[in-house]
Amino acid sequence: MSDETTERAPFRNPGWAGNTGEFELSEDEVRGRSYVGEHAPEGGHPSRVPTVPYMLPEKDPEAPLFEGPYAERFEKILSRYPNRRAALLPTLNLAQELRGRVSPETMAEVAQLLGLSDAYVRGVATFYTMYNKRPVGRYLIQVCTNVSCNLCGGDEVLAAFLEHTGTEAGEISDDGLFTVMEVECLAACGFPTAVQINSRYFENVTPDDVPAVLDRLREEAS
Amino acid sequence: MAYPYTHEKEVRLLSRGWGDPASRTLEGWKALGGYEGLRKAVEMSRDEVIGVVKDAGLRGRGGAGFPAGVKWSFMPKEKKGPHYLCCNADESEPGTFKDREIMRWTPHQMIEGCLIAAYAIQAEHVYIYCRGEFFETNEIVGRAVEEAYEAGLAGKDILGSGVDIDVTVHVGAGAYICGEETGLMNSLEGRRGLPRVKPPFPAASGLFGKPTTINNVETLSAVPHIVVNGAEWYRQWGTEKSPGTKLFCVSGHVKRPGNYELPLGFPLKELIHGVCGGLREGRKLKAVVPGGSSVPFLNAAECETCSLSYEGVVEAGSMLGCASVMVMDDSTNIVKQVRRTVDFFSHESCGQCTPCREGTTWLARILKRIETGRGTEEDLETLLDLGDQMTGTTICVLSDSAAAPVRSSIEKFRDDYLALIRRGEKVGAA
Ligand SMILES: Cc1cc2nc3c(=O)[nH]c(=O)nc-3n(C[C@H](O)[C@H](O)[C@H](O)COP(=O)(O)O)c2cc1C
Ligand code: SF4
Ligand code: FES
Repeated sequence: MSDETTERAPFRNPGWAGNTGEFELSEDEVRGRSYVGEHAPEGGHPSRVPTVPYMLPEKDPEAPLFEGPYAERFEKILSRYPNRRAALLPTLNLAQELRGRVSPETMAEVAQLLGLSDAYVRGVATFYTMYNKRPVGRYLIQVCTNVSCNLCGGDEVLAAFLEHTGTEAGEISDDGLFTVMEVECLAACGFPTAVQINSRYFENVTPDDVPAVLDRLREEAS
Repeated sequence: MAYPYTHEKEVRLLSRGWGDPASRTLEGWKALGGYEGLRKAVEMSRDEVIGVVKDAGLRGRGGAGFPAGVKWSFMPKEKKGPHYLCCNADESEPGTFKDREIMRWTPHQMIEGCLIAAYAIQAEHVYIYCRGEFFETNEIVGRAVEEAYEAGLAGKDILGSGVDIDVTVHVGAGAYICGEETGLMNSLEGRRGLPRVKPPFPAASGLFGKPTTINNVETLSAVPHIVVNGAEWYRQWGTEKSPGTKLFCVSGHVKRPGNYELPLGFPLKELIHGVCGGLREGRKLKAVVPGGSSVPFLNAAECETCSLSYEGVVEAGSMLGCASVMVMDDSTNIVKQVRRTVDFFSHESCGQCTPCREGTTWLARILKRIETGRGTEEDLETLLDLGDQMTGTTICVLSDSAAAPVRSSIEKFRDDYLALIRRGEKVGAA
């Protein structure tokens, strides 16, 4: 008994953004980049401030919490909740956006900003999987291996990413570019295999696509 | 516009506009009749709005199928302090991929639904709790909310009605359990996403201890259409007990996977073999999980007659859940997929309840043993026994959800388990 994952459904992903069964759209149109526009540094309208992605290639582990436009965004976040505790997740997100991870020191600083105890913030931060407790590569590659993707070869896609980056799951590649991990369902199950790379989704990824995806990332990094 | 795949049997109400980047924008959404629902709603009384949603029989699309209008009517009529609306955009039930599509193609549809619901329940603030992983989608939603503010559709005195409704997009940080309604509220309050013991129910004491209603993205997105066109119109589709259309998320071994919007009560067989183009060449149907990872498996015979309504799927031996139809052909190693499902629940259990925390770990361990050819027949009895102890004994139903696929697969695919046990051989990596 073995799954024959080579027999794949006949759909492809020319635009990299996935989800291109019969329609012809550019990657930009699928991802909605031009609609979203450039983020104003101070985050735009307070209602949308928390939507700035917090998994970015550029990271500065020493960045201050928070200065300049980031301080403005922090104030806007506070203004949307009836108490400071409720701002904890958006604040941790903002910290990770800047620093690339949420270290124990970062947790302590956030605790101070919000008037919470270190232990409390640690308890909350460790509950959520998207806070990087350890450093990760410039690109965090998360491959879905849950059932729908698994039926269509998610395990092979994961194996291909590990092979072509020369890493074990969770490690940083020698060039500092990549960390590959397994992830739970990304809610793109109809476009298997779904892969999240920093803040972007790549859908309908097959093992054969993996070298080209990595090449593209290397190019973006250079 | 052919959003990934479309089919002539579809009734595209909520999925209208998908695949067309123009429908994302406020202007594009208005061109499709957008915000007429909100305009109409603020001219109606709150009871009238709740009434039409009740009459339409709209049921919650987040999994449980609770009637939305009835839920809204539980909110206090006399307002003594803040009321809140939470829009559950934490979509993370394996197999489900509809809310993200609504959000990235027609964000204003969801926002309009949120505003109408907030008006009906007198909520002054809507929190859209978005799944953290949806970065790109969340940016689209954020921009759309900003557009709504700019156009006076959100914020102070919406559409000159004198009613103030704020909207905030809140972004999570990865935890399936935050999709559970009270887990979501705890998470929004800056806590760990631990489900709460009920009662008190959210309508009495929810977010920040205030009366709160929570609805799924798809539920709220159906609301503008119902307010504009009326309850009778909506009931022209679906069954008496399951009115309207539903987004079916089809994944796995079909030729054309994707989202299809169909009337509730649509035959499962026709969905797989007609709408989705059937299975891959030379393959036969083995199993279907019709509602996301939390519901029991159906075998091929049960799929023959299953009708995709809330009541129809129960009759066939499972649950409609989020209508996430995962199709498995005869190449599938069922034990492996059940093990993968249980691994998920074990990873996502919040750990508050012993039967869930311990039970999911044990299920996963025993299933792994069987999968790798080291299981015994007694293991099957142990699995069933564990499943019984995990059902109906915990704060939320994640525990029951983990047990359901295990029990149903042992009942319906016992031979697959026995073959692995008997042969005692390792299954392939796939
Ligand atoms: C473990 C668990 C996870 C859930 N995840 C989600 C989810 O991701 N999205 C969702 O809308 N509902 C989810 N629900 C259902 C919610 O608790 C709630 O019933 C729903 O949001 C109510 O909205 P509705 O009445 O419009 O369906 C989940 C429930 C449980 C028990
Ligand atoms: S059943 Fe599981 S997930 Fe739900 S509250 Fe209990 S331990 Fe947490
Ligand atoms: S199972 Fe992979 S995205 Fe849902």
